[in-house]
Amino acid sequence: MSYISQYQYYENGGNAPEDANWGSYQYVSLQDIVVNYQLMYSGNHSLINNEERYKILFHAKRAIQELNYDAFKEIKVLQLTVSEELRFILPSDYVNWVRISYYKDGVIRPMVENIQVNSARAYLQANDARILFDQDGNAIQPQYSPLDFARITGQQPSIYLNSLSPYNGFLGYEYEGCWYFDFAVGARFGLNTETANANPTFRIDKKSGVINFDSTMANESCILEYVSDGMEGGDDTQITVNKLFEEYVYAYISYQILGSKLGVQEYIVNRARKSKSALLRNAKIRLSNIHPGRLLMNLRGRDKWIK
Amino acid sequence: MINDIRNTVLAVLNKNNYGYISPQDFNLYAQQAQMDLFEDYFYAYNYQVNKENQRTSGTGYADIKKGYVEVIDFFSVTTPLTPIAPNYTQYNLPSLATTGSDYYLINKIIINNTLVASGTTTGNVGGQNKIIDSNANFTSSGVQVGDIVFVVIASVPTYVTVTSVDSSIQLTIEPNVINTFPLAYQIYKGSTIKEVERVEQSKITLLNMSPLTAPSLMFPAYTTEGNVATLYPTPALGTVVTSQYIRYPKVPKWTYVDLGNDNEPVFDQSQPDYQDFELFPDDATDLTMKILQYAGVSIREASVVQYAGAKEASEINSEK
Repeated sequence: MSYISQYQYYENGGNAPEDANWGSYQYVSLQDIVVNYQLMYSGNHSLINNEERYKILFHAKRAIQELNYDAFKEIKVLQLTVSEELRFILPSDYVNWVRISYYKDGVIRPMVENIQVNSARAYLQANDARILFDQDGNAIQPQYSPLDFARITGQQPSIYLNSLSPYNGFLGYEYEGCWYFDFAVGARFGLNTETANANPTFRIDKKSGVINFDSTMANESCILEYVSDGMEGGDDTQITVNKLFEEYVYAYISYQILGSKLGVQEYIVNRARKSKSALLRNAKIRLSNIHPGRLLMNLRGRDKWIK
Repeated sequence: MINDIRNTVLAVLNKNNYGYISPQDFNLYAQQAQMDLFEDYFYAYNYQVNKENQRTSGTGYADIKKGYVEVIDFFSVTTPLTPIAPNYTQYNLPSLATTGSDYYLINKIIINNTLVASGTTTGNVGGQNKIIDSNANFTSSGVQVGDIVFVVIASVPTYVTVTSVDSSIQLTIEPNVINTFPLAYQIYKGSTIKEVERVEQSKITLLNMSPLTAPSLMFPAYTTEGNVATLYPTPALGTVVTSQYIRYPKVPKWTYVDLGNDNEPVFDQSQPDYQDFELFPDDATDLTMKILQYAGVSIREASVVQYAGAKEASEINSEK
């Protein structure tokens, strides 16, 4: 990508969208990566020659995918309203989740993942529990399993301390006009901290591509923070990588090609491997942006007296 | 150069009355010899690359590889490929009929596949060098000088270049070929090019199956079959595809007018079919030796073949 004028940068040359180039200088495009690699690291006098471009492209994309999984810290955020069926369909570029929050009354409340199963498939069964099949020999499935039905209709109690808790509404004890402890008095001696959360809960069904919530989330707003693989829906023109990782991507491509090439001495492969790993570490440190100004506020708390 | 070489060949052959070769035979041997040496350039180039990798080669005047690159580049041709009707999504590879010369190898294919504007002309006022479309807005579309316009005129696919954006609805182009109206056109960005990668037939299916490597507008690919290049992904109508290739050297032809006083054909380079060798002068010796070998075989004179062969071998060795 060539350098652009200030007018191009700030206002996209008068075209829409205006913000197309904002922050673009942090990134190097996939095309630049592949072209630079072919020019600088591949050729008659290089360790790598006679490699097809598609191989370089493949390894470049794989490097970018790997970086997106953990190193980049480029979290995508999607806010949607949860349907009546208590489902949140995972975004098309979803790979893994970081945090799921419940947005209500202007407050973002992080939710906890339910440690219990909250969704299942089911087959229709006869009175004697035998599975029923259709004429093609496939087991007949109901629209909802009993578990799902109970969850969607709000009949499934929760082990969490939210309104679905079987102890919700039980009397605790009154202290200065307020009632405390959302469980039966005398029935529990201590709190299971793992489930001590009053927010709605969720569980991700990866294969089905949905997040299933408990019934308190119906029509509520949910914020999903997730990571993608940076492939931008297959649009090569949109794929970019932070410049701090540029050298790492070149090293990764070299390592992958040398490692799979016939007759390359092991010490050369090792050299490429070490180079790749070192560059990844360097880039991660750079990206973590540790500097005194950032640490200042944290360090100011070090002399605070803990009472 | 061709006459000098022929004179040398005849001088060697006629010594001790070994023999004589006719102009027709000489031309056949000359073509063969030139092709031999032309192919040798590529092997010699590769040999020099290997020498450089072994660090037994120098730079500056000792950079032998550079000489081979220059010689090979002399035969380089860069020219648009003609799309094939009716869809214009496949392209003819270079040939005498389409680009004026056959190709020895295709070095690269580049593509202008960023479509800027398309439409149909709505007027033809102002001459054959105007694209007028009252429904277009060439300015806001970003059409610029240097962009390439594809049109099909009388079933002939034609590329013209924008030389001026006169207004939002009118362009000036060259050459002047717009002689019909209405005329469908596509305008591609002249400055945005991508290199198309050659992919083997055995790989293209797999390549298309992989989401990570499937050819895209950013990283297109092509395969060849017969004399046709197929591009992936299928290019839009009229996409500009340009090939840079190494052509074969032209067939040398020693031409003459008629027989002279001593019954010898007299060299005449003003004949329309005259063609000198295209190789460089430093190859004259090699050409002579190669032609001598063919001539020696022709006149069944083993000593000529042996002499020429030995001479050629020593020449090759001294150049290593």
